[in-house]
Amino acid sequence: MRMRLPSGVFYQTYRQDQALWPTTFVKLRMWGLLVFLFVIFPQIASPYWLSLANLVGYTILSAMGVQLLIGYTGQVTLGHAAFIAAGAYTCAVLVLQYHVPYPLAFLAAMIVAGLWSMLFGLPSARVKGFYLIMTTMAAQFITVDFIITQYVSRIGERGHSFSLPPGTLSIGPWVIQSDRDIYYLMIALVTLSVLAMTNLARTRIGRAWMAIRDHDIAAEALGINIVAYKLLAFFMAGVFGGVAGAFWIANLYAVSPEHFTWSWSLWLVGVILIGGLGSNYGTIFGSLFMTLVMEALRNIVTWLTPFFPSLETSFLFVKEAAFGLAIILFLLYEPNGLAYRWWQIKNYIHLWPFSYE
Amino acid sequence: MRRGGKQCRALEIEITRDLTIPKQLVRTAKEYGDRKVAMREKEFGIWRSYTWADYLDRVKALALGFYRLGLRQGDKVALIGDNRPEGLGSEMAALCVGGVAVWLYQDSLPDEIAYILDHSDARFVICETQEEVDKILAIRDRCPKIEWIFWDDPKGMRNYHDPMLMPLTEVMRLGRELEREDPTRFEELIAQGHGDDIALLFYTSGTTGKPKGALLSHYNLLKMGQNLMRVDPYYEDDEYVSFLPFAWIGEQMMSVSSGILAGFTLNFPEEPETAWHDLREIAPHIIFSPPRVWEQMVRAIQVLHADSPWLKRKVFELGMAIGYRLADRKFARQKPTPLERLMGWFAYWLVFRPVRDRLGLARVRYAYTGGAAMGPDHFRFYHALGVNLKQIYGQTEIAGISVLHRDDDIKFDTVGKPIPETEIRISPEGEILARSPCVFQGYYKNPEATAEALRDGWLHSGDRGFIDEDGHLVVFDRSKDVMTLRDGRPFSPQYIETRLKFSPYIKDAWVIGHELPYVTAVICIDYNVVGKWAEARRIPYTSYQELSQKPEVYDLVASQIRRVNASLPEPARIVRFVNLFKEFDADDQELTRTRKLRRAFLLQRYQPIVQALYDPSAHEVHFETTITYEDGTVNEIRADLRIVDMEPIPAWTPVEGARALVIQGAEE
Repeated sequence: MRMRLPSGVFYQTYRQDQALWPTTFVKLRMWGLLVFLFVIFPQIASPYWLSLANLVGYTILSAMGVQLLIGYTGQVTLGHAAFIAAGAYTCAVLVLQYHVPYPLAFLAAMIVAGLWSMLFGLPSARVKGFYLIMTTMAAQFITVDFIITQYVSRIGERGHSFSLPPGTLSIGPWVIQSDRDIYYLMIALVTLSVLAMTNLARTRIGRAWMAIRDHDIAAEALGINIVAYKLLAFFMAGVFGGVAGAFWIANLYAVSPEHFTWSWSLWLVGVILIGGLGSNYGTIFGSLFMTLVMEALRNIVTWLTPFFPSLETSFLFVKEAAFGLAIILFLLYEPNGLAYRWWQIKNYIHLWPFSYE
Repeated sequence: MRRGGKQCRALEIEITRDLTIPKQLVRTAKEYGDRKVAMREKEFGIWRSYTWADYLDRVKALALGFYRLGLRQGDKVALIGDNRPEGLGSEMAALCVGGVAVWLYQDSLPDEIAYILDHSDARFVICETQEEVDKILAIRDRCPKIEWIFWDDPKGMRNYHDPMLMPLTEVMRLGRELEREDPTRFEELIAQGHGDDIALLFYTSGTTGKPKGALLSHYNLLKMGQNLMRVDPYYEDDEYVSFLPFAWIGEQMMSVSSGILAGFTLNFPEEPETAWHDLREIAPHIIFSPPRVWEQMVRAIQVLHADSPWLKRKVFELGMAIGYRLADRKFARQKPTPLERLMGWFAYWLVFRPVRDRLGLARVRYAYTGGAAMGPDHFRFYHALGVNLKQIYGQTEIAGISVLHRDDDIKFDTVGKPIPETEIRISPEGEILARSPCVFQGYYKNPEATAEALRDGWLHSGDRGFIDEDGHLVVFDRSKDVMTLRDGRPFSPQYIETRLKFSPYIKDAWVIGHELPYVTAVICIDYNVVGKWAEARRIPYTSYQELSQKPEVYDLVASQIRRVNASLPEPARIVRFVNLFKEFDADDQELTRTRKLRRAFLLQRYQPIVQALYDPSAHEVHFETTITYEDGTVNEIRADLRIVDMEPIPAWTPVEGARALVIQGAEE
C-alpha cells in the first residue's frame, strides 16, 4: 500500500506518478541502504556474519516463491523445496557433467525449476485448499525423495552427492570462492528478485494474482483467465525457487537431497507466516527473524551447555519446538506478521501527531 | 525580500496608463515561452501542465473566436464555472478583445443569475459544464440580450442542439481560422486596449439589497497587484492554488493581477471536493482565503487532535503551548529567550512541521485572510504553528486590498497598514475612507450608489474603525452591524461570533443585542463534529434538527459559550442562547455568497425566535419556516426550540434611545 506523500510532492506525468521511489527522501534512503548492503556491510562483517547473511539471503530467495504463491496468489504450497532442488540439481549437473558456464546453468536452472513447478501447478486448475496442499506435497516427495534421490543423484556414478569444492563456480573471470564472494552474489540476486517481485505485484499480473487470492470467482467474472494466471504464478514461483537453488550450490561443498527436505518447505511457509503474507517486507522480515532467532537460540544453547550438558543433544528438539512456538505466538498475537507491525509503526510516524488522515 | 538574490519581476514593471492585463499577459508569455509552466490542472490523478506559450496560444484562439462571433470592445462576457484553466483563459480572451468579464458565483440561484445577466447586459455567457448550461437555458428568456452560450466540458452535452450553444473548442477553431486569414488581428486587438478601460465587473455580495456591479479598470487591477507585491514580493517559481470562486475579488487579485505580473504558477484542483487534498499536494507559497477556509482548517485539526491517542495528544498540546507562547512574543515584538527558542525548535519538528504539512501549509510564505472578520483565536492558532497569516482589508470597490499586515508587524486585532499609494482616513462619523489608484470606476448603471460611495475620490467603505497608536487600522465592524450594549458601549457582534466559532462544535453563530437589555446568541452546531461527539457518547439522533435539540448538545454548547463569556466584559456576555434547527445557508439568503451573515434578513426571518429570547418567561419557541434547496425546491420545516439561560437575566435598565422589547421588522 502506498504511503501518504509529504505535501509539496506532485506529479505531472504518470511516469513520475508510478515511480518506485516517489520522493527524494525515499530515494536517498534506498540508495543509502543499497550502499550499506553492497559496500559497507561486506567490508566490515566478519566471516561469521557473512555466512549468516548468506543464510538469510538464501531464505529470502527460497521464501520469495512461497510468498508469491501463498501471499499473492492464495495457492497454498507445501513442496517448495522440490523446486529449489530442481534448480540446484539442474545447475549442478550442467556445471559438473556438461561443463556449462555457471551463468548459463543458472538460467537453465531457473527455467527447469519454473517448468517443473508449473507441471505440479496443473492440478490447481481444478482443486483448491487442502487438495492443493496434497498435490504440492506430492511434488515434494516425487521430486526429492524419488526422482532426485533415486536417479538424478546417481548421474555420473557420484554415489549420493555432487561435490562442489570452493572455486568450482565462476562467473567469467570472477571465481566464487570465499564467503564474501557468495555474499556479493547473494545480495545482487536478492536485490534483483525483490525488485522483480515488487514490480510483478504492482502490474497487471500481480493485480490478477491478488484478485484470484481475494476471490477467484469474482476474478474470473472480471475477465481474468484464472488457469493461465495460476500457472504463471506456479511458473514464477518455480523460477524464484530455481534462483534460490542455483545460488545455494555456490555455498555448498556438496549437493545432496538432504538439503531439500520437506521440513525446509514447511519452514519457508513459517517464514512468510511470521513475516507477513502478501508483502515483500514479509519475506525479508520473516527470513531475518527466523534465521537470526534460530542462530541466537543456538548461541544460547552453546553457552548453556557447560551447565546443562544434555542440552547439546536435545538442541534439535529445542529448535523444532521454538519454531512451533514462534508460529503459535505469531498467529495469536501478530496474525498479520511482522510486515504489518512495520506498516503500523510507519503509519504511526507518518500520521504524527494525529491518528488518521 | 527574504530569499537572497531572488527577483520579484512585478516590481520592475512600470504600470502606465496604457498598460492593460492582456498586454502584460502577452509580455509575460513571450518572456517565458515554453520554458516555464503557467498553470497546471489536476486531471485523472496527475497535474497536467500548460506552459506560458500554450496559455497564450489558447487565449489567442479564444479571443479571435469571440471576436469573430461578434464580441467588441466594452461588451460584457459572463462566466460561470469552477476554477479551470479554460475559465481563466476565456476571461483573458474576453479581456484581449476589449470585453468586460463578469464572473458569477457557481452556486447562485437562478433568480440571482438572471438579475446579474440582465443587469450587466452580457452578450456572451461561458459555462463550464452541463449543469451551468442548464441553469442559463432555464433563465434565458428573462435575459434577452444573451446571444451565445458557450460550454467547455462535453460530458452530457451530446443531445443539446440549441442554436445558441457552442463548445469552446469550436470557438477556438473559428479563432484559428481567423488567425490564418488575418495573422495580425490579435496584436491589433490588444494594442487597442487602454489601462482605463473596464476589465472586470463584480457584483458585490452586499449584506443588504440587490447586488451592485462594481467596475474595475485594467489600471486598477494592475496597480493593486503591484502595490501588494511591494509589501510581499512573489517570485516566479512560487506556487499558487486557485480554488476559490473567480467571482470573488480575492481570487482575481491572485490569479489575474498578481499572477501575470509575478509569473508564478497557478494550480487548479481536480474538483472543488478535492481542493484540500490537491492544495496539500502542491503546498503553495501563497494562499489568500476568506476566514471560513481558515476556520475549517482549524476545525479539521481540532477534530484530528481530539481523536488522537494519548501520547500524540499530549505532544500536540505541549507543542501548541510553546507555539502560543512564541506567537505572543512575536505579537508583543519581544525576542524569545534562548530556552524558548530551543523549545520552539523541538516543537517545530514534533508538531508545527507535521501539522503544517497536513494542512498543505508547509511552504507557505504569505497566508492571507480577508473578506470578513477573523477571530483572534484562529489568528493565534496559525501564528503558533508558524504560519505567517496576515489580514487583508479592502473592498471590491478598491480592487480588493487597501490595508495589509507587514511581516514583522502583526497584531491580531488590527488589519495592518495601508499598502503603498494608498491613504486611509477616518471620517468624523468613524467611517473608514480610502484613496488609491485602485479605487473603482463606479457602479454599473447606478450613479446614486456611486455618488454615495465615492466622494472627492475617497471610497466610503461603510465600515467603522479607527487607527491605533502604531498606525494600524482597526476595523470594528460594518457600521450598521455595530451594536450598542446595555451600558451604552458599542460592541462588535462579529467579534463574539468569531470567538464562538473557534469551538469545533459551533459552525455558525449569530449574536443579537443591539440596544437590547442583554446579549443573546443563535447557534448553529457543526453537524459532523457534534454528530461524532454524540456517537462517541451513544446519543442517538437522526437529523440535524434532532441532534441540535438534544439536552446533552445544549450542555456542550453551553460549556463552549461559558468559555467565551469568561473573556468578555460583563455587558457583552451571552445571557441566553438557542440552538438553531438548521445551518445558515446562502441559498436561504441568510448568508452572502462569501458566508457573511445578513443580519437584517435574519432578524426578519427569525423574529419569533428573537422575541422569545427576549422574553424571560419563554423557555421554548415554536417556529415554522421554509428551506430552499439549490435546485429551487422549497420545503417546509416546523421546529420547537429550547432556550437556555447562561447567566441570570440582568435587571432591565433602559439606556437612552433603547428600543422597546418588541423587535421591529428589520429595516433593509
